[in-house]
Amino acid sequence: MRTAFREELDLITASVAGMTELVAMAMDRATVALLEADLALADQVMTGDRRVDSLRTDLEDRCVALIAQQQPVATDLRLLISTIHLAGDLERMGDLAAHIAKIARRRHPHSAVPAQARDVIAQMGDVAHSLVTTVADVLEGRDVELAAAMETEDDSMDALRRKLFTIVLSPGWAHGTAAAIDATLLGRYYERYADHAVAIARRTVFVATGNHPGPVRR
Amino acid sequence: MARRIEIKDLDIHYGRFCAVRGVTLSVPARSVTAFIGPSGCGKSSVLRTLNRMHEVVPGARVEGNVLLDGEDIYARDIDPVAVRRTVGMVFQRPNPFPTMSIYDNVAAGLKLDKRRLKRSELDDVVLRSLRAANLWDEVRDRLHKPGASLSGGQQQRLCIARAIAVEPDVLLMDEPCSALDPISTLAIEDLIGSLKERYTIVIVTHNMQQAARVSDRTAFFTLAGVGQPGELVEDGDTQQIFGNPRDRRTEDYISGRFG
Repeated sequence: MRTAFREELDLITASVAGMTELVAMAMDRATVALLEADLALADQVMTGDRRVDSLRTDLEDRCVALIAQQQPVATDLRLLISTIHLAGDLERMGDLAAHIAKIARRRHPHSAVPAQARDVIAQMGDVAHSLVTTVADVLEGRDVELAAAMETEDDSMDALRRKLFTIVLSPGWAHGTAAAIDATLLGRYYERYADHAVAIARRTVFVATGNHPGPVRR
Repeated sequence: MARRIEIKDLDIHYGRFCAVRGVTLSVPARSVTAFIGPSGCGKSSVLRTLNRMHEVVPGARVEGNVLLDGEDIYARDIDPVAVRRTVGMVFQRPNPFPTMSIYDNVAAGLKLDKRRLKRSELDDVVLRSLRAANLWDEVRDRLHKPGASLSGGQQQRLCIARAIAVEPDVLLMDEPCSALDPISTLAIEDLIGSLKERYTIVIVTHNMQQAARVSDRTAFFTLAGVGQPGELVEDGDTQQIFGNPRDRRTEDYISGRFG
């Protein structure tokens, strides 16, 4: 029963998975572009972000249409409302990757990241990659336990950001104000990217259980 | 005034066929409770046992208890007619007495009553009942026209006026909107919202959006298969039933995955 409705719900879920893949790829490329001062890759990330933006509006339109036409309830309704929200999170994650690519582009042909901060930024890239890969699994399996585990990983992102601050603020910082601002912004972008990934995981818990997970630990 | 209903271990049989088994359910006073479920799940049968209306079917009998504010309506010394005066009913198709005027339709229940009312008292009850049924403004100039001259939606509100004229405590509604157009349906739904301040209302509906819109609590009934007795799966706050039902069968039914 309601075959067309069920199919459209599956397609919406598939679009979310596709969008997650795009913002995962965008972040991976942005990190490489940043660390290797790769201009072509930075441009690809910025161009690719337009696709993410249009996917978000497309998803929102499809959710609104289904709500209007099919009067979904229970899990179906939670899925559609949550999709509207998490499409916004994904779009923002795409924007943050594009911001990182923009910094890489601005400093080209030099690297925007001084050697001193390179390790930390590389690690932030790794944690971002790991979080977005996990969130894809959380979405696919509506995996509540995996979603909870992501919060711990997000803590390590916050720790890396504090480490980056320590480096920038240390008396040994010899790269000037512009590089300090870049590093600070980069820290912020990676950290926000991770927060949105966690927000998506939390929305998935709501879809699966009908309960909002407790307040975000800070 | 509005009374709470408690159904305890209710079984309903029609002859040798067990139509409903093991229903235990509380219906709070001054609230709207919706019964939903697929055809044959026993929701209408359970509704009819709340004013002993099922007894008009030969061979029908119940086991278990139905309590109105703690008083068993199946106790030996209880007159079914008295139960039906306390627990009024509105049916799927509007059924005004066709040859009677609008006025007489509303007054019908009172005229059957033993106590005689003065004309002015009767006028008063008719006015109050039509007002309460949101019909007064539309019929005030033609109270002595036949009830059958009204539109379907107006006829249904006339039947509601007739039901509340005898001042029941509980109103049962068996798919009261299924023969009405969407605008008349919304008028009845608004009316249900205002009536619940004074009455305990139980409504059977096939329209799940309607259940979600009008009721405070929802009870979901189903049956395991054809020829099996109907049973209560779960009941709860309507928001919970439609937002996050506990039982998989409820979720499947309200999401349209049933069958």
